[in-house]
Amino acid sequence: MPLDELLIAIALCAYVVGALALLLYFFSRETWARNLGAALAILGCTAQFVQLVVRWESTHVWPLLNLYGSLSLFAAMSVAIYIGFAFRYRIWFAGGFVLALAAIFLAYGVTWYEGTMPPVPSLQSYWAKIHVPIVVSSYAAFLVSFVFSCVYLLKYYAEQSFSGRRVLATAAAEAGYRSGAGELSVNPMMGAVTDAGGIDFGRGIARETPAIAAAASSGSPVARWLLSLPTLAQLDVITYRAVAIGLPLISVGIITGAMWAKEAWGAYWQWDPKETAALFSWIIYLAYMHLHTRHAWRGVRTSWVSVIGFLSIIFCYLGVNIWISGLHSYKM
Amino acid sequence: MTLALRSLYAEFVRTFGNVLFAVTLFVVWGLFTLIGVVVEQGEDPSLYFQSYAAPIARAILRLSFDNIYHSPWYVGIIALILLSLAVCTFKRVIPARLPPLRPVSVEKIPLHAVFEAEGEAFDVRHRVGEFLAARGWQMRERLFGGVEWSFADRHNWARRGVLVAHAGFVIIAAGTTLYWARGFSGETALLTGHTAEIPQTHALIRLDNFAYKITPIMTKSGMVYQPVDYVSHVTVVGKDGIPKHLTVRVNHPIDIDGTLYYQASYGFGMQFLVSRQGERNAELSRRTLLEGDAFDLPGTQRTLVYERFAPTVDKQSGMPTADPRVSDPAVLLGASESGNSLGEALVPLGSAVDAGGGWRVMPQRYVLYSGFQYRYDPGVPLVGIGAFVLLAGLVISFYFLPARLYVRVDEAGPGRARVGAAATTVKGYDVFANEFERLMIALGRGIEPGPSRA
Ligand code: HEM
Repeated sequence: MPLDELLIAIALCAYVVGALALLLYFFSRETWARNLGAALAILGCTAQFVQLVVRWESTHVWPLLNLYGSLSLFAAMSVAIYIGFAFRYRIWFAGGFVLALAAIFLAYGVTWYEGTMPPVPSLQSYWAKIHVPIVVSSYAAFLVSFVFSCVYLLKYYAEQSFSGRRVLATAAAEAGYRSGAGELSVNPMMGAVTDAGGIDFGRGIARETPAIAAAASSGSPVARWLLSLPTLAQLDVITYRAVAIGLPLISVGIITGAMWAKEAWGAYWQWDPKETAALFSWIIYLAYMHLHTRHAWRGVRTSWVSVIGFLSIIFCYLGVNIWISGLHSYKM
Repeated sequence: MTLALRSLYAEFVRTFGNVLFAVTLFVVWGLFTLIGVVVEQGEDPSLYFQSYAAPIARAILRLSFDNIYHSPWYVGIIALILLSLAVCTFKRVIPARLPPLRPVSVEKIPLHAVFEAEGEAFDVRHRVGEFLAARGWQMRERLFGGVEWSFADRHNWARRGVLVAHAGFVIIAAGTTLYWARGFSGETALLTGHTAEIPQTHALIRLDNFAYKITPIMTKSGMVYQPVDYVSHVTVVGKDGIPKHLTVRVNHPIDIDGTLYYQASYGFGMQFLVSRQGERNAELSRRTLLEGDAFDLPGTQRTLVYERFAPTVDKQSGMPTADPRVSDPAVLLGASESGNSLGEALVPLGSAVDAGGGWRVMPQRYVLYSGFQYRYDPGVPLVGIGAFVLLAGLVISFYFLPARLYVRVDEAGPGRARVGAAATTVKGYDVFANEFERLMIALGRGIEPGPSRA
């Protein structure tokens, strides 16, 4: 097996096993599963980047000029951005979803592998080396934001469902909630509180999911598990931070794309389906950012916008390439 | 201003200055943009009737969804966004000032921390100030009712990030408008050896030679003929009247007096030998037709169309192959009579075909032509600056969070002080929670009197 194919196989296996390990960690909080999953995420991601370099070295063709190469980078960047977030915010728990999506996109990319071809004239530009990685990285950041908004929505609707069941009276919920807090040292971003050295932050774990807290204190394993996830506010902030990476990146991507288009086709903006689909996604994330400035809209609504935003990204990325032909079908 | 006018103006400012109104405009903008992605743009009306049910096709055409990006709807929504942005910027963003320096109820602010530290209050206060200043916080002290408050501000300048982002969008819009007002663009297809004059600039451009390179590559799903180069050698004469020999390639346009010329397409012009009862028709035989061109056969109701050039025809099947390199070329000719199609025929180069009425037509010789796009866009520098400004605004807004700390230090017994700190930011509390916690923990440790202080 050639080295580049071997590396892809390693990455794919690492993502699949890593996803399983991190999903196990998501549900069970087994530390070994987290460590294994984290190690495999790093291994898979590294193998992918090495593979891209190997392919470039051996073929002398920039490896991102077809769907295979670009999906491969998408998977690798999604995992890389996620690893960055996981280290920064201690949120390995969601890695199973990211790795699973990365594995799916990578496997799908492999089905587009046709061998090495010299690029068509319009792709023979230094812009290919700038524009493509930036755009793909923005998609990857949006994938990470999508995963966290899904976890947000899961917890939010679980809270709704628990409060619908009225497990306990609110007062009991509050009490149980507080007593439970001490055990919840796994709660990622609040880790600091436990070693706060006597500082009273006056917040404890945010009181935003009282029904889940009440159910947890009355012994519901699902609720206890839900409580071990970051608070809704924290999930919202993580989503926001991922979008704050993706939006400037997609903006740079659109701008560099326009500069390239100007060089290749004469006009920086031609209303080509790919350009306009990217503009559509940009508008959605712009709406996200503006909604996020309003307290009342932060949270469940912005999470839905993030989900819609990512669906639009997938449409822009794959839908337009596959279903709608235009200048980006690279005929010239 | 009358009362009614004033209240109308107030209502206008309230609506257009509202972020949720702006988001509604974004949604509409997004939907129009999406329509343009899904519905083919700028096609012949008949195509919409072929692709969609008649009522939908009619709606597409009536609502200008076939050319949505230049429709009144699209231009209108962008105008509304700009208006909303302007109102919002002047009425909300610019007037937004630093929060006033005034005492707060520390514990009522969701982001707060209270802890005790060793030392006299004034000393601890001093150490807190030093600690925060060393981390880039701008410190100010004020006395309120005998209580000394410290106010720490960070990234104050970044409060203007929103303004910068908004200005960027306005500059881009201005650059685009400049193109509409003063720019132009066009296309020209030039046969080898021919010269064209560009109507807007009167520049002359002659195609000396066009070449393309195609590499056959065996892939997993079969042979692919990959184009790898298109190159036009041209002679141009601009305002200075001096002919210049230049090369135009994809991604390498040429600049003649500020107008850029791009390699856009290529094709095969065709010369036909047209004869009737053995006698050559000089006029028709002299012409070189581009793909899609037609000519009428004199004395008949017939029209022939040079539909397409087939570079290689498979000898066995007689059908065109996917190979775009010229080896056994043929021409697809269409015929119609009084507007009614009579069918098509694939005619190899050098073979004559009976066109009826005694006419015979023979594709004789092909001539390569090169298609150029040209464009003069005085708005480009402005759009470039706008894009840069917009980007700078995004980065400032997302990565430099202006925050204010309210700190008070009180005596908490002999040799001990109680530190209370609260934080506010322009983006609420949650986004700063982590950092605030880390900062407070570091502050608690950082202001412990160490040996160096003793
Ligand atoms: C289409 C072009 C626009 C762009 C590129 C843009 C960009 C931005 C950015 C990057 C932010 C900062 C968001 C954050 O910090 O999370 C922002 C905030 C804001 N935008 Fe826009 N914006 C646009 C249009 C508008 C319009 C039409 C309005 C009119 C109401 C508006 C009103 C605001 C307001 C009020 C804020 C600040 C909200 C706050 O911090 O409380 N924007 N904008």
